[in-house]
Amino acid sequence: MSRKILVIDIDRCIRCLSCEIACKQENDLPIGVRWMRVITIGPRKIKGELHMDFIPVMCLHCDDPFCAHFCPTKAISKREDGIVILDETKCIGCRLCVYACPYGVMHFNQEKNVAGKCNLCFSRVDYGLQPSCVQHCIGGALQFLDVERAEEIARGRHRTGTEKVWYISTKWELSLFGKSCKKL
Amino acid sequence: MEEKVCSRCGKPFISRSTFDRLLSEMKEENLGFLEEMISLCPQCRLEVYAQNLIGDRLRRVHASPYVTERRLEEMKTVKMDKRTGATVYKTCCYICNSGCDALVYVKDGKVIKVEGDPSSPVTKGTLCPKGLASKQLQNHPDRLKYPMMRVGERGEGKWRRISWEEAFNIIVQRFKEIEEKYGKHAIVLATGTQRGFARYFIRFANAWGKQWIGPGIAQCFYPRVIAGMLVLGGYAMECPDYEYTNCMLIWGANPPATWPIKALGMMEARARGAKMIVIDPVFSETASKADLWLQLRPGTDAALALSMLHVIINEELYDKDFVEKWCIGFEKLWERVQHYPPEKVEDITWVPRRQIIEAAEMYATTKPACITLGVSVDQNADTISTGRAIAMLAAITGNIDVPGGNIFPMNTRTPERTEIELKCLLCEECHERRIGSKEYPLLAGKACPLSPSAHPPTVWKAILTGKPYPVRALYAHGTNIVLSYANSEEVKKALMSLDFLVVVDLFMTETAELADIVLPAATWMERSSVVSSIQTSYRHVHLQQKTVEPLEECKSDYEILNELARRLGFGEYMFKSEEEFGDYMLKDWGITFEEFKKLGILSVPNIYKKYEKSGFKTPSGKVELYSKFLEDLGFDPLPSYREPDLSPVSTPELAKEYPLIITTGGRVPVFRHSELRNIPWLREVEPEPRVLINPRTASELGIKDGDPIIVETPLGSMEAKAHLTEGIHPKVVRVPSQWGGRHNVNRIMDNRYCAPMIGSTQLRCQLCRVRRKE
Repeated sequence: MSRKILVIDIDRCIRCLSCEIACKQENDLPIGVRWMRVITIGPRKIKGELHMDFIPVMCLHCDDPFCAHFCPTKAISKREDGIVILDETKCIGCRLCVYACPYGVMHFNQEKNVAGKCNLCFSRVDYGLQPSCVQHCIGGALQFLDVERAEEIARGRHRTGTEKVWYISTKWELSLFGKSCKKL
Repeated sequence: MEEKVCSRCGKPFISRSTFDRLLSEMKEENLGFLEEMISLCPQCRLEVYAQNLIGDRLRRVHASPYVTERRLEEMKTVKMDKRTGATVYKTCCYICNSGCDALVYVKDGKVIKVEGDPSSPVTKGTLCPKGLASKQLQNHPDRLKYPMMRVGERGEGKWRRISWEEAFNIIVQRFKEIEEKYGKHAIVLATGTQRGFARYFIRFANAWGKQWIGPGIAQCFYPRVIAGMLVLGGYAMECPDYEYTNCMLIWGANPPATWPIKALGMMEARARGAKMIVIDPVFSETASKADLWLQLRPGTDAALALSMLHVIINEELYDKDFVEKWCIGFEKLWERVQHYPPEKVEDITWVPRRQIIEAAEMYATTKPACITLGVSVDQNADTISTGRAIAMLAAITGNIDVPGGNIFPMNTRTPERTEIELKCLLCEECHERRIGSKEYPLLAGKACPLSPSAHPPTVWKAILTGKPYPVRALYAHGTNIVLSYANSEEVKKALMSLDFLVVVDLFMTETAELADIVLPAATWMERSSVVSSIQTSYRHVHLQQKTVEPLEECKSDYEILNELARRLGFGEYMFKSEEEFGDYMLKDWGITFEEFKKLGILSVPNIYKKYEKSGFKTPSGKVELYSKFLEDLGFDPLPSYREPDLSPVSTPELAKEYPLIITTGGRVPVFRHSELRNIPWLREVEPEPRVLINPRTASELGIKDGDPIIVETPLGSMEAKAHLTEGIHPKVVRVPSQWGGRHNVNRIMDNRYCAPMIGSTQLRCQLCRVRRKE
């Protein structure tokens, strides 16, 4: 089976917020815990034009995840297909992973006293379905694609991200930590 | 224990020792450059990461266009889902009027999940956040569960649970008494967005011979639709054909927040490379994706449209063959638009003339092009002129009923709207006596091409003054009247003074609180219907099927209307059940509702240029740029611009005291008009009402982002939070509509000035002032 990539096309996010609520429903998340967020940048003037952009933000399924590195109980692991998962039954609620994640996408569920984050709906994926955010994305910004198709689409576009999650755009030169920072 | 504070927001978030440990391990791993990120609290990290991702590194590149692939599955109207162990029903989501195909997962008689339907040719598996949160609506602890009767003073909140039998008996008896005492027109029906049962409710009203009102009529939908019908004889202005379009003119609409199906079509067309022009006073989500954004002064849409017609006609960019063959009154329109040159309209609309010309040229020369209209064109000082002028843009450029233009929806072999509504039963006297029929004949008179509806602001006055005749009872089915019309204080006073008020709803709304009898309705997941609506699709018939039994004693809207009709003595005009009504809807297909439940969807092929066979459905059979029909009614046969009644131009003295223009167009993706503030997942996203203010204006007023503010008009004040944005003109503020209590903007909106012909309230263009709440 070909490796699947979550491709996020910034040009197409229209902040309909379907992904946010699809995620809350699929993962039964309480108030205060939002694994999927859409962050609005702007409106702001750049080179005399007004711009407003929407960035879907969730776990990047890092190639070598810090959250896993710091977890004292080895509750976090990377599956063969690249999805980083967190086993709630092993989590002791120490929150080290929350503090270690440089992106702020590891969340803490106080009701259950466990950490949690986007797991790319692996139970759906294993069942042959798309992640819920991808299925419901109205603008078509979120896609879950075979690596070949992802490469095809990314060609000629700005691109950044991890092995598992790519951001693409025809408008913005993308970089995970801004230009001054080295890419992961 | 010493704590590390976030280097951005200043809040402590982690112990110093843990932080030092994290940092030293990261440095060991040669990842010291992450120090900046982990010095932030997790919330700030997320925001800074999103900001850094695009930075300000604007560099456009060309890449091959592609359309997002959607996985289409085979339609199954009922299936088992092994993963969740639930039974999955295909139905139509009626959390708004779109009627999107949806899947409802039911386990042990309970809705456990609601998702998009990947077998839908329309939604392609998507669903908006409101639909996705429907489980929380369905299982909400505050839902009304039993009929209730008021036992204290009106509005006091004291109730007694009663049986349906008792409720129906009281309602029938009280209506009979009021009718005997005050006459048949003393009872008025009211409805809201009527999702999925719109025509059935109107059928009920028409069969009973009662007048009815709705906020989704005079100030939404009817104006733009009727204006379009006057020009084109059909619904083309509601039906942009995104599939084949090369240019989209989006006028006063923001589909990502309000209309998911349209947003999907719009973004697919965009992905193919179609151009996009957006007309909106606010830099909306849609505007942020556009090639051209025209930031007009709220309420000046008609002037802008007439000026675009000026450019297209004078530069001879119109479709000469189509105009010659299919349009009447072109010379008269030519004369009329000469009054609207871009240099003059720039002063009216605040849109630079260069942009007016550019938009007109782009729309007229990029073929095919389609227009998408939003509710904002229904809420200015002359909504019929606005709608007609915009429809004429589509007409003279030859963009009517061609692939990629504005198309007439297909006849899906279901009965016509007015046939279902039994418009034929309306008597001369009903037309004559309907409130507002003389002043606003396109809304309330016989001239209304749809089912006529009474004029709400005049109804409030009738209730309060007894003129032109007494109105003493209101039957409100699925409508939160207190929040949904301008001048809420007057509306509330009117409701308080009624002899009898019945409210049917899902929750104890601000309006239900004032009722004598409250009846609990079923949700969209608890009822069935045959969905044949241009708001859902132009050529399909969709299945809405009951997925669970109604909660406790709740009843579906159909059942309530049927039972009332039977007891009031006109049951023969209604159907016995939803299924029987479904059979009637499907009679031309030769199938029953039961059989349709296995199919899920019916389709007819698209045919373009239908007018070539049968002409346009106008009196002349042609596109009517000049309307003899309007002339005969005593109105201007051509569109014109009418300045808002309260504006810096019309009322300069008032504008000194109230210097800002207020538009109540604020809509967010997670709410639907007055609804859904009580759905936890949705409220989390938009916890408070936000008023958009330009930073320059805010700074002059000493207001910072997030400050509590007070918005005032001569009618009173409302409260909200300030949201500073460069995306709004310094002289305009945009307020969200229909929040409750002190956040209700309709408390401060004037309802005295209404658009000619149809009586729309000017909700998008009045005057206000803003101050910080101390």
